[in-house]
Amino acid sequence: MEEDEFFGEKAFQRFCVEFIKHSRQIGDGWEWRTSKDCSEGYMCKTHFQIKPGTVVSHPGTSAHVQTCLPMEEALELPLDDFEVTETTTGSEVIKYEYHVLYSCSYQVPVLYFRASFLDGRPLTLKDIWEGIHECYKTRLLQEPWDTITQQEHPILGQPFFVLHPCKTNEFMTPVLKNSRKFNRSVNYITSWLSIVGPVVGLNLPLSYARTASQDE
Amino acid sequence: MTDDKDVLRDVWFGRIPTCFTLYQDEITEREAEPYYLLLPRVSYLTLVTDKVKKHFQKVMRQEDISEIWFEYEGTPLKWHYPIGLLFDLLASSSALPWNITVHFKSFPEKDLLHCPSKDAIEAHFMSCVKEADALKHKSQVINEMQKKDHKQLWMGLQNDRFDQFWAINRKLMEYPAEENGFRYIPFRIYQTTTERPFIQKLFRPVAADGQLHTLGDLLKEVCPSAVAPEDGEKKNQVMIHGIEPMLETPLQWLSEHLSYPDNFLHISIIPQPTD
Repeated sequence: MEEDEFFGEKAFQRFCVEFIKHSRQIGDGWEWRTSKDCSEGYMCKTHFQIKPGTVVSHPGTSAHVQTCLPMEEALELPLDDFEVTETTTGSEVIKYEYHVLYSCSYQVPVLYFRASFLDGRPLTLKDIWEGIHECYKTRLLQEPWDTITQQEHPILGQPFFVLHPCKTNEFMTPVLKNSRKFNRSVNYITSWLSIVGPVVGLNLPLSYARTASQDE
Repeated sequence: MTDDKDVLRDVWFGRIPTCFTLYQDEITEREAEPYYLLLPRVSYLTLVTDKVKKHFQKVMRQEDISEIWFEYEGTPLKWHYPIGLLFDLLASSSALPWNITVHFKSFPEKDLLHCPSKDAIEAHFMSCVKEADALKHKSQVINEMQKKDHKQLWMGLQNDRFDQFWAINRKLMEYPAEENGFRYIPFRIYQTTTERPFIQKLFRPVAADGQLHTLGDLLKEVCPSAVAPEDGEKKNQVMIHGIEPMLETPLQWLSEHLSYPDNFLHISIIPQPTD
């Protein structure tokens, strides 16, 4: 539609296709979804995470500090580690949904997410805020437009949390400049998601980056 | 012929007579009388219903009250949509007053955004204004303004001050002398028949040959099912602020004169009433 449009909707879809291709190879769970009555689509991923409960250790055993692990990693721990008799109270499984949509107003991707307990109870903005790493909280509090707010998902019409997109160009421009400078192709979505994802608990395996630089 | 500036006033001062009734299952200590109010079309439900809240809370116990929400004929009303849009889309074919049901329990988490404070409404409003300017001016005008100008837009809306609001908003309605309009037109098209809440796309006010695009051009491009075929029967009404502008109206003019305070054209496509 636009000549000088660097990151138009077509480019967005192209990068998403590449991203999902790699996701399928490593079983990372990203899918493409379209709505019934429009051509636009978005990427989405659901994952489950154990929210730490209170650790109660029994006398004569050492207490293990339980951190917030993705379920897959938790299940991989060797059985020996569970010999100690300790119980946790209040651990809950939380379902996180992440959606990557394209904003035609800002011409950048936008990360929408929501979280709920298995019984359907949604997490509040306060709960989400508590789950964010300290180092990101300071930055988010300083910039009014970089906050996480609750907004209506433009395709589903349901409440989601969003990282405001208006500063995206600011941090993506140096990434893209460098990729042109060093003649290395970059998957915009991979780079962008690796920056914004960790703020809200979404981490990308390193293999995504290796794939992006191989496609030349 | 009405002066164009009069249109701005007519839009700003539009009102909808509304009757608020407490949901029958809410627990009250006394009978709750309905509450009547003229709602500003250009504002937001949670910004203008403090009196409604106070009126019903007088007959309820504190422990039975949590976040207020509104519903029309079973549909939860999105407070973050302008009042005029909600009415045109959902209730314009029904007789006045608009009958809204008030709830204080069982907040529909899956349907409605929470509105914890007036700050949340301000943040939402300013976010829309900012997005509109991203489309119109690549955010240049809004970013050049000082914080106090942003505040003045919000205060103008909150306090129903037309002059205070437009002193700043007029800057958001300007465009470079060499252009014939904005870069893209901020608009959203709503229909109750689709799953998707609205259609929003990039659309230029001026064609490559310099001709001004019309409302009809916009609909044909982004929502062709809304426009009747040449010889066909008119199935839908295309409504903005309770009126049906002629499809030949230039989109640039509509954007400058019929936008809501958030600088968006919120357009409703509704079935043609059968009377």
